[in-house]
Amino acid sequence: MVMHPVLMIAIPLLSAFIMPLIKKAHRYFAFSILLLNTALSILLFAKVYNEGALYETIAGFSPPVGIYLAVDNLSALLAFLINIFATINFLTSRQDFRFSMLYLLGVAGATGIVLTGDIFNMFVFFEITAVASYALVASKKDRKATEGAIKYMILGSVGSVFMLVGIAIIYSQLKSLNLYDIAARISSMDTKMMWLSFSFLLTGIGVEAELFPLNGWVPDAYEGAESNISSFLSFGPSKASIYAIARLLIIFSMSRTYELALYLGIVTLLVGELAAFTQKNTKRMLAYSSIGQMGLILIAFSLMDKTSYAIPAAFFIIVSHASAKSALFLLSDKDGFGDMSSKYAGLAGVLSLIGMPPLAGFWGKWYLLMGVADEKIWAVAAIIIFSAVIEAIYFARYLYKNMEGKESSRNSIPAAVMVSISIVMGILPILYNMAGGVLNA
Amino acid sequence: MMWPEYVTVAALISIGLYGVMAKKNLMKIFIAISLMETGVNLLLITIGYIPEGTAPIENGNFVKYVDPLPQALVLTAIVIGLSVTALALTLLIRYHSKTGTLEYRRGMKW
Repeated sequence: MVMHPVLMIAIPLLSAFIMPLIKKAHRYFAFSILLLNTALSILLFAKVYNEGALYETIAGFSPPVGIYLAVDNLSALLAFLINIFATINFLTSRQDFRFSMLYLLGVAGATGIVLTGDIFNMFVFFEITAVASYALVASKKDRKATEGAIKYMILGSVGSVFMLVGIAIIYSQLKSLNLYDIAARISSMDTKMMWLSFSFLLTGIGVEAELFPLNGWVPDAYEGAESNISSFLSFGPSKASIYAIARLLIIFSMSRTYELALYLGIVTLLVGELAAFTQKNTKRMLAYSSIGQMGLILIAFSLMDKTSYAIPAAFFIIVSHASAKSALFLLSDKDGFGDMSSKYAGLAGVLSLIGMPPLAGFWGKWYLLMGVADEKIWAVAAIIIFSAVIEAIYFARYLYKNMEGKESSRNSIPAAVMVSISIVMGILPILYNMAGGVLNA
Repeated sequence: MMWPEYVTVAALISIGLYGVMAKKNLMKIFIAISLMETGVNLLLITIGYIPEGTAPIENGNFVKYVDPLPQALVLTAIVIGLSVTALALTLLIRYHSKTGTLEYRRGMKW
């Protein structure tokens, strides 16, 4: 079968705008589109895994002139993760057709960020995802959601301006927007210009990726939004943008930029976990914990040039966080795990986030610590273990509080399915000890 | 050298950034964001500009023309900026109806 990755962006984008026409059956239609997208992403991964990285030109212009998509193993896997979680999460929606429309737009944008091979195209997908997310956060219509959405929007718009300045600087120096072309010729750029554009791009993407000084919007937007939308934010836009930062690091690939990313990751990790520790509100605690996990993913990506453990580490933390944290956000609309499936989802989710074997979170932290130990940067290892301990304490408190509760969330079954993905992904590496090999190919 | 353009770009972006950070009124903040967007668009146009270049339309006789790509980028950026501004104004109307004010008081709360 001929597999075009562009379909995975084009189909949801097109059907998003069909939504207002079919108000009645919008839920079935949107769900089948998401299911189709997940199937396409599995086919895409099978193809990329068998035949190596895939490049698709669009509209017949060959690179570096035309826009094109570049898919490797990691981006195909991330596209799969985003789409499958989007499909499961969509089951919990009780909103009207406008929600389905914005949701499909957000999924199309997040998939686009992961698959694109053109930096301006990436910017456009960032904006699609961001605008859809602002509107989704605001869709609850009360005061808190509006405030959260406005805060998100102010920071997001400033971030997008910064990102565009970074793109403009790169274009002025290299006359190219193609990621691979830029990566090949970046060393001919002046070092000052490189740092200037790197800082602008990192600031711009960092807003969406919840990096430390730029994440003031995170707790307010996550707290204000409906619980299934907080869940969407935690597996969709944030995961796609941390992957965009990884691509950025590969393009610039200076040892100092990796170092900067490492420090930024450490600060984000510590600030997020310590802030989560002090929170009383469940959703705010989960939001700060997300910030901490994003820092952990950034630490993993920042070791990419040094050790081959870095990419599997980042991948497993992404899997664990996207499944478990999204499930916990789904459960957060009620205080308490009343029925069996929400007890299971809550417990397994927390264990995966803390890093208990054999869940995906364990493999993430395991590979990360292996990588850090290889490099003998013990301070970083100490910080990772310290933050894991803090995480364990506040999650124990969270579990204790919720296990007592008699109420249970209406979203408990989709949440349980999401967490199960984290368990399956955690057991797979035991079944065949090849995860490192697969991801490094 | 086209320094007046670059100075204008720097001024627009800095004024916008100042407005976002220093103003409390949400309407003023979004006006400041629009200023920043205009600054970036001007930067992109300036990068593609060639002195005495004409519009990039292929009509047989080769003339000196400006780089068409930044113009396409600016067109996209303008549309994105428009949609963000429209959504922002919608949210501001709702914020005003909920709180009776456009002042943002919540700030950074940890």
